[in-house]
Amino acid sequence: MAEERNPRTSSDPAASSGSEPVLRAADLTKHFRLGGMFSKQVLHAVDDLNITIAEREIVALVGESGSGKSTVARLLARIYTPTRGEIYYRGRPLRSLRSRKDLLWYRGEVAIVLQDPFSAFHPVFPISHGVMRNLALHRPELSGPERRREAERVCETVGLGPKMLDRYPYEMSGGERQRIGFAQALAVRPKLILADEPVSMLDVSIRVGVLNMMAGLRDQEGVSLLYITHDLASARYVADRIVVMYAGHMVEEGPTETVLSSPKHPYTQLLLSAAAEPSEKEAEIAADSGEPPRVINPSEGCRFRWRCPYAIEKCEQVTPRPTPIGATQVACHVAVAEAERASNPASVS
Amino acid sequence: MAIPDISVTDSITDVEATRAPRRFLRTVLGNRKAVVGAVILLVMAFVAAFPGLIAPDDPQAAIYAQNAGPSSAHLLGTTQLGQDVFSQLVWSTRLTLIVTLIVTAIATFLSTIIGVTSAYVGGITDRALTVFIDVFLILPVLPLLILLAAYLPPGVTSLVIVLCITSWAFQARQLRSQGLSIRNRDFLVAARARGERGIYIILVEIVPTMTSLIAASFLSLAVYVVGFAASLQFLGLGNSSELMWGTMLYNAQQASALEAGNAWWALSPGAAVAVLGTGFALLNYAFDEIGNPALRPVRRKRRDRSSA
Amino acid sequence: MTDPLLEVDGLTVDYLTDAADVRAVNQVSFTVDPGEFLAIVGESGCGKSTLLFAVAQLLSPPGEIVAGKVIFRGHDMVRLGRGELQSMRWRDYSIVMQSAMNALNPMKSIGAQFKDTLEAHGNVSKADIGRRSTEVMELVGIDPAHLHSYPHQLSGGMRQRAMIAMALLFTPQLVIMDEPTSALDVVAQQSLMTKIKDLQQNLGFAVIFVTHDMSVVHRYSDRVLVMYAGQIAEAARTEEVFERPLHPYTRGLMSAFPSVRGPRRELIGIPGSPPDLARPPTGCLFHPRCPDVMPACLGREPELYPVGDAEVRCLLYAEQARKAS
Repeated sequence: MAEERNPRTSSDPAASSGSEPVLRAADLTKHFRLGGMFSKQVLHAVDDLNITIAEREIVALVGESGSGKSTVARLLARIYTPTRGEIYYRGRPLRSLRSRKDLLWYRGEVAIVLQDPFSAFHPVFPISHGVMRNLALHRPELSGPERRREAERVCETVGLGPKMLDRYPYEMSGGERQRIGFAQALAVRPKLILADEPVSMLDVSIRVGVLNMMAGLRDQEGVSLLYITHDLASARYVADRIVVMYAGHMVEEGPTETVLSSPKHPYTQLLLSAAAEPSEKEAEIAADSGEPPRVINPSEGCRFRWRCPYAIEKCEQVTPRPTPIGATQVACHVAVAEAERASNPASVS
Repeated sequence: MAIPDISVTDSITDVEATRAPRRFLRTVLGNRKAVVGAVILLVMAFVAAFPGLIAPDDPQAAIYAQNAGPSSAHLLGTTQLGQDVFSQLVWSTRLTLIVTLIVTAIATFLSTIIGVTSAYVGGITDRALTVFIDVFLILPVLPLLILLAAYLPPGVTSLVIVLCITSWAFQARQLRSQGLSIRNRDFLVAARARGERGIYIILVEIVPTMTSLIAASFLSLAVYVVGFAASLQFLGLGNSSELMWGTMLYNAQQASALEAGNAWWALSPGAAVAVLGTGFALLNYAFDEIGNPALRPVRRKRRDRSSA
Repeated sequence: MTDPLLEVDGLTVDYLTDAADVRAVNQVSFTVDPGEFLAIVGESGCGKSTLLFAVAQLLSPPGEIVAGKVIFRGHDMVRLGRGELQSMRWRDYSIVMQSAMNALNPMKSIGAQFKDTLEAHGNVSKADIGRRSTEVMELVGIDPAHLHSYPHQLSGGMRQRAMIAMALLFTPQLVIMDEPTSALDVVAQQSLMTKIKDLQQNLGFAVIFVTHDMSVVHRYSDRVLVMYAGQIAEAARTEEVFERPLHPYTRGLMSAFPSVRGPRRELIGIPGSPPDLARPPTGCLFHPRCPDVMPACLGREPELYPVGDAEVRCLLYAEQARKAS
């Protein structure tokens, strides 16, 4: 049986190459000081992250808790400011956004959808509150009735009837609320939606509906999405490209199928083997009981080395940087060395 | 592929009229403490609004027998000057209630704004405001009063000023704590991400979610203010010609009412203060129970096991 | 034919609230054999956690068992007094909760909590306490030095393991687990499940495992109960449920999982949401969302019909069952 093309992913990955990416993060770094003002403990949430999101593309940012993925979302949404590095929106660095007007403009271009549909809405107002506020702030040219019509339009885009707008959050299910979260984001007509684990708190049978809706947004509304998740399977279902993070670093990145069919970084391999398949009875069980570390005042070297079955001496001394191997980028000394050996059998490494 | 319209099958509840205000009323009426407290306050409000209906005598007219005990003509006796005590009590309700409500409102407003702003803005502003709150918390009230009494003209205005200054700080700390705990709730993060201004977030996004706490603050502060206002007046800060329960206490004390034979002159204002305070306190407990079902008295419904 | 370890018969649980009475668990019957791994699967609101609490006799008002029996070791636990229940708790059956941080006392060390448990349920000498605590820690793969640690000093995965260790202190015959892996990351989840299965096979206790994660169910359980809206929708051996799911809801659940390794196909999921149990639909509770709904489904409530070794609550199989009987 020929492998079916997944209708969920974009049909033309080459279309966006050559044009300016929607978002580009360069050496993005965020540190938090733990304890009081005089503490020396610095938590490295994100270090030297380089990530690109093109037009009409869904990029999945995959990692476990502590990987830094939620921090990335908040950095890109300008809720946090970076410790180092820069974010370019369509070529324009975010640092150049000084005035309130500039920042407001940016927030109308890049919108965020949060994880918890149960606390993401103001409990006292009807669910239309967020949508209407977004319209008031970012589309001031619309009149009152026009705003209402627009609110109803985005409601329908996410698959909900317009009557839903007048309901209160407690009267709606988790799936419905999450869809309204996307409607809120759509109301500002963004080029990019940052979705921070939008389906993790939903029932399994509801998740697929929301994932399908996200793909629809890319196809029909032309919106790019950064889909943040810890679930490889759902990432595979909707994303065109996957970025894998571990302990604040990007470890592997590339087109979805390539990364998942031949993962090069040992952490990606670990994640893949741990991702249980409903239809599988047996699977190779990775012999690993560790968890991602909290990175406080880290030293040089690969942060995965304590759990890595292939670690070599270099891994303790030099922090691996993302290096291209074929269509993907991998931050692993061993993987890079192997790739070099494979392409250059004559040379001695 | 069209995004499926799931509006038809997606709704979980039929949205009838069980909305917040109606449910609220039902809950309030179902709670005994709330009902008693509300009745007390309503009666007080009525008396304050229409004192003439209950005590037609002019409270200040010093025309009756002096220091008389209770009788059918004078339910609580008369004062040293021959004024009807019952009339005085009834007519004092208005000013007492007004002063209580004004002070409580101002203090609650101050504590809300300062507490929530401190919590939301954080950083150095928070530290500065916390110190500011603490200063007012530890202000020694009595020495302050004595100082102020020397400079301020005795009367309601001074009373209001002093009470406001000394009573807002406590609730400010509480409201700040509450503000800190909800500061990182997702809907507030979402508001920041939308680009809302700080003032907007404080007034529209945060304060409405704290209404039950603010209401509870208000009620418990009211209890305090009722008692403390009376105490201050008893100590002489009030103007004895103003009609308030506290000034009645002062006058009665000055006239040694207890020895002179009309004890009711001294006791009735105190009782009135206690009743008003109790009304506020009962409502406060009731709000606690309504807001936190865990505090409700457990009424186990007996179910017939065989009916399943 | 061994006697079942646990027999639940017609268990019904209502939540008695001011607004309305909600039937959270409706006439649920099942058995658990010694050493068996039974998975109870369902989504939010299906009643699986309530069922678990009811079986473990941990329900508190407004929840109440209004009918049915829970027969364990010859006693109907619903009718037992506190004293008798107390003597069975932890010795014969124990419970692992969903979140260790909710169940463990943050103010006490792990070792102190083990000691409390051991003393509460048995007459154990001090030496035995130390010995047994070390034993169970080793069983679950935690360095016994952590007996001196506080819960917040351990990682999420280790805390869950500590919970399981505590549940095994008296080597009970039945361990009830309420989604013990849902708060963990994928890798920690898998290693914890492997460990649980390991322990189960070595020590021989039965497990009732409540979860919403079908993949965990497939790899580790012997039998599955699929719950929907407080009722059992399907009950069968695990192999059968995955090879030939009978109930439309089960089929919908199976097809709602995107796969990491298989071919990529478009998924549909199940439209709509679980019903509001205060105002349930007429007839079959699943009919508003069912892709195979028939006119009869709106009026008639299906019973659990036997289909081979399995049971299904669906009118599609009513004829079949009638003919077979």
